[in-house]
Amino acid sequence: MSVAVSNLSVDYRGHGPDLHAVRDVSFVIPPGKMLGLVGESGSGKSTVAFALMGLLQANARIISGDMQIGGRSYDLTKNATAPLRGHGLAMIFQDPLLSLNPVFTIGAHLIEILRVAAPGESAGRRRAMAEEALAKVKLTDPRRRLDQYPHELSGGMRQRVVIAMALLAKPVLLIADEPTTALDVTVEASVMREICALRDELNCSVLLITHSLGLVTKYCDDMAVLYAGEMLEQGPARAIQRRPGHPYSRLLLDCEVAIDQPRREPAMANSFKVIGGELPDLRRPVSGCVFAARCDRAVADCAVTVPSAVRLDEEGRHKARCLRIGAS
Amino acid sequence: MAFLLRRAQAALFTIACVMLMLFVLVRSVPGDMASIMLGPRATPELRARIVAEMGLDQNIFTQLWLFLTRVVRGDFGEDVISRRPIFDIVAEVLPNTLILAGTALFLSLVFGILLGLIAAKSRGSWADSLLGLLSVAFVSTPSLVVSIVLLLLFSRALHWFPVAGVGDSGDVLDQLAHLVLPATALALGWIGYIARLVRAALLETLTEHHIRTLRAYGVPEWRIAGIYALRLALVPLVSILGIGLGDLIGSAVFAELIFARPGIGSLIFNSIAVRNYPVVQAAVLIIVLIYILANMAVDLINSRLDPRIARALREGRQA
Repeated sequence: MSVAVSNLSVDYRGHGPDLHAVRDVSFVIPPGKMLGLVGESGSGKSTVAFALMGLLQANARIISGDMQIGGRSYDLTKNATAPLRGHGLAMIFQDPLLSLNPVFTIGAHLIEILRVAAPGESAGRRRAMAEEALAKVKLTDPRRRLDQYPHELSGGMRQRVVIAMALLAKPVLLIADEPTTALDVTVEASVMREICALRDELNCSVLLITHSLGLVTKYCDDMAVLYAGEMLEQGPARAIQRRPGHPYSRLLLDCEVAIDQPRREPAMANSFKVIGGELPDLRRPVSGCVFAARCDRAVADCAVTVPSAVRLDEEGRHKARCLRIGAS
Repeated sequence: MAFLLRRAQAALFTIACVMLMLFVLVRSVPGDMASIMLGPRATPELRARIVAEMGLDQNIFTQLWLFLTRVVRGDFGEDVISRRPIFDIVAEVLPNTLILAGTALFLSLVFGILLGLIAAKSRGSWADSLLGLLSVAFVSTPSLVVSIVLLLLFSRALHWFPVAGVGDSGDVLDQLAHLVLPATALALGWIGYIARLVRAALLETLTEHHIRTLRAYGVPEWRIAGIYALRLALVPLVSILGIGLGDLIGSAVFAELIFARPGIGSLIFNSIAVRNYPVVQAAVLIIVLIYILANMAVDLINSRLDPRIARALREGRQA
C-alpha cells in the first residue's frame, strides 16, 4: 500500500505570534520504498514525523494535512492516524538509550506491543513471537534477551530491540527519526541494514528522517529536502545527488565530506563548506522563496515571488521549487 | 547476601546508639524515679525495694551493661508495678499498633496513589487543582486534630462508629469498626503527601522518551500511566515509606490516646507519665526494630521495582 501525505502544515503556539513550523508539505512513499527526509536542525523534519504519528506536543496544532494509506484518507488535523499507531504506523526513535523503559524487561516491551498488534494471541504465543522478532533483527541469544533489562544492552542492541518492536507492529508506514544519530558509525550500518531488512520483509513504506545526506544517498530510494518548514526539492535520491535542482540541495551536498568519490566541484582542500546565514524567523510571514536570503544564486525577484514546483525529469518525479531553474 | 549482612551491621549499630541515647535521656530527667513511680504515699521500705529491684542504686554504667546484656538474651525484665514480664506487656499491645499503622499505611498508599494518578492525568484541570488543595489541607492538618474532629463528628454526632477501644477480640467486624476512624486520622496526612509525590513523579516520568515509544506503538494511555510510568514513579515513593511507617507509629500515640486504644503509643505515654522506664525502653526498642526492618524492606522492594538499584546494591554502591 502506498502512503501519501498531502498539504501538511503545523503551527507551534508560544509567546507572541504562532510559529509556522511546517508549511504545505506533501510527499508519496510507494510500498517497499524508503524516502529520506533531509534538512538542517530546525527545518521541521521531526515535526513532520510526529504530526503523522499524532504525537506532537500540546502546543502544536496541525493546520491542514491528510494522509492516504492504500486508498483510505486520514485527516491529520483531527488526529485520525492515532488509532493506527502500533499496527498501521510504527516509529523508531533517535536515542535508543532513552527509548526503552528502564524498569521493564525487553520481553515486557515486545509483549506489550503485541497486545496492540496481535490482540488475539495467547501469552505463550506472544512470547514466542517476541523471541522470533529479536532473532530476526540479529540479536544473539534472543531467549535470554527477553528477560534482560535495557541497561544490560548496548545502544546498538537497544535500537535493534526497537526495530523488533516495529517488526511486530507490522506497519504500513515506518517512521525512523534519526535512528543512527546517537550511535557510532560502525553500528550505524548494521542498524540501517536491519531497517532495510524490515522494509523488505513487510514491504512497507519507510520515512527516514536524517540530516545525513550520506545515509540518504546510500539507503533511500527517494529524497525530500526540507528547509524552514518547506519542501524545496524531492525526487529519486540518485537524481538529486547527481543533479540537484535547488541551490539549497546543491549547497547541502557540498557540505558533505566526500570520502569515496571526487565530487563534481571538489571542495576546497582541507576545508569544510558551510552555508552562510541562519534559518528565517518562522513567526513572520515569508515572502518569496524561503531560502532567498541565504541563496548564492538569488536575484531580486526571489524575495518577492513564491516559486512553484518545476519538473526536472520526464515522469515528473524529480521536482524543485526555484525560480532560477533553467536560468544560467 | 553480602548486602543483607552489611545492613544488619548498620542496624545493630543504630540500635545500640538509640538504646544508649534513650538510657541516658531517661536518667537525666530530674526527680527520683522510685518516688515518682510510687507516688506521695510511698513508704521508705517500699522505695528501697523498688530501687534495689530496678538496680537504681548501682552506677549508671553498670545499669547500662545489665540492661544491654539482658536485652541481647531477649529478657526485658519484670515490671515492678504489675509484676508481669515486660516483654508480655509490650507483646500484648503491639499487634494493635501494627494493625493500626498497617491499615493507615494501606489506606495512604491506595488513596494516595489513586489521587496522584488522577491528578497527573487531569493535569491543569479543575480536578487537579481541587486534589492539590485537598492534598495540602490533608498534609497540613495534624493527625491529632483530625482524630478529635472524626471522633466528634462520626462517633459523637452521627454514631456511625464506636468511640473507644479496639473492639471485642474474635469479632472481626467490631474490630474493623473500631479501626476505621483512628486509621483514617493517621492516614489522611500521608494520603495528601503520597498524592503530591505520585503526581510529581508521574508527570516527570510521563515526559520521558520511553513513554513516547509506548504511545507510538498504540499502548492505551491508562496502561502507560498505570503500569509503565507508575512503576518508575513508585521508586521515590517506596523510599519514603520506611520513614512513613516510623512516622505512623509515632503519630499512633495521639490516635491511641484519643480513641483509647491499647497500643505501643499509649503504653509509652502512660509509662512515661509514671516514670516506668524499663517499659519505655522495651517499647522504644521494639519501635526501632520495626523501623529498621521497614527500611530494609524498602531497599528490597525498590530493588525489585528497579533492576538498576538491585545492581547498585549488589555492587555495593549507594543507590
